Amino acid sequence: MTTPSSFKPVSGPRPGETAWLWLIKIITGPLLLVVLALHLIVNHYLGSTSSGLMTYDDVIAYFQNPLIPAIEILFVVVVVTHSLIGLRGILLDMNPSRRVLSIITWLLALLGATSIAYGVWLALVIASKGP
Amino acid sequence: MTEKWNITLRIYRQKTGELPHFDDFAMEVDPNEYVLDAIERVWAFHDRSLCFRHACHHSTCGACGMRINGVEKLTCITVIRDVTHNGATLKVEPLRNFPVVSDLAVDMGVFYRKMEMVGARAVLPVTEAEIEHPPATWQPEDARYIRLSDCLECGLCISACPVAATTIEYLGPAPLAAAQDVGLRRSPELLTIIDSEDGLWRCHSAFECTAVCPSFVDPGRRIMNLRKQAIGLKLTKLFGKPGVPQP
Amino acid sequence: MNNQPSSKKFLAWFNPLGRQPGSWAFILSRITALGLTFYLFLHLVVLGRLAQGPQAYQEFLALAESPIVKLGELAVIAAVIYHGLNGIRIILTSFGIGVAHQQRLFYASVALALAGTVFFGIRLFGG
Repeated sequence: MTTPSSFKPVSGPRPGETAWLWLIKIITGPLLLVVLALHLIVNHYLGSTSSGLMTYDDVIAYFQNPLIPAIEILFVVVVVTHSLIGLRGILLDMNPSRRVLSIITWLLALLGATSIAYGVWLALVIASKGP
Repeated sequence: MTEKWNITLRIYRQKTGELPHFDDFAMEVDPNEYVLDAIERVWAFHDRSLCFRHACHHSTCGACGMRINGVEKLTCITVIRDVTHNGATLKVEPLRNFPVVSDLAVDMGVFYRKMEMVGARAVLPVTEAEIEHPPATWQPEDARYIRLSDCLECGLCISACPVAATTIEYLGPAPLAAAQDVGLRRSPELLTIIDSEDGLWRCHSAFECTAVCPSFVDPGRRIMNLRKQAIGLKLTKLFGKPGVPQP
Repeated sequence: MNNQPSSKKFLAWFNPLGRQPGSWAFILSRITALGLTFYLFLHLVVLGRLAQGPQAYQEFLALAESPIVKLGELAVIAAVIYHGLNGIRIILTSFGIGVAHQQRLFYASVALALAGTVFFGIRLFGG
């Protein structure tokens, strides 16, 4: 009629344990709020343009302090992780098959790794442009 | 004199192999009666082919759950006066997220199996029940008094849950609430079931379940508590000594 | 079969009618999440201009002062405040704190997001 008696709802733990992913999401979340607040303050209030934005020279000078690229790298790691785990959560609600979910997870991981690598590279390039 | 209202019951109809449609029934009702009474009179005097479930008529069995004007309700305790007014239409539909067997009766099989899977308790010692005004301390002999579990297994919460709408595999509020009631402390093996891709973490804190539960189960709060239990157990397993049973 | 759960129904989430505040909170979080993710990747790409030297960056700065971009930035601020505060609501309730007040926490998130939008809107556009 509707469902066979052998039907077993609940898929059981799949690769990529969701409890840890959820924990990472809720830890990166508040962390982001803090780092983002700092980032916004610095980039919108401490610059030398009339509206507080930083000019090219401001940015280069600012990046000479090694703490700054370190924080920006931390920022990109945390924000990309949070965003992509969240995106995966949204896609989960479309109920992909186990195989499709696997592909999605790998694609997101790849996107994440690439974005982080790009962010790290950018931070180091800018830091290296100093006098 | 009892008050009389004239209302239209707009009832969802669907038989196997047919497209669903709505049938209108003009009824004279006493507004202090319950919606279920009106539906029964439709069946008795207007259309014997109308199919619906009802049993205890006092919110204990959970059989008569339906959507009244789009909102999940137990029809045996829903007073007509509270959901419509004289001259208006009362829309009656089956619960969402369950396959329709016939008209207002839905297939609850998968749901019951999920409840069994988590070991939902039908009765529990009163010392473990969440009752109002418990004594300051329970005496050991108090545990001999047992109490029916609050959950009626009526399925209103599953119908209201936005995540349950996307997949039949999602455990759903009532099974998760039952798992919380059993507790991971008592049954750590439940962790595998609830910590799955279609388990605990799919809940998005909409709290629709808590809003429609007719029996004070408060599944939303229980799911949140289960999260705390699950994280606690996982952290203990990670940092605890292997082989030593953790509380 | 009719009335069955289906992955196509995930779009039904975005319909707030007849729903609890908890559902609205969830819907708004999803929308802000998608918006912020889009902004994130856009931002990362645009910042590449910094690496291309002062000329390229100067052009970007000029664009950043335009009203459309500033409006976009304001939307980002509103989204971040709401998404962050609702996230905190989820974290608190997930550990059993404030579950009975979850609706009020949602209203507070919206109120603070609106207040923040007004405050930063004035900063960005006023005087």
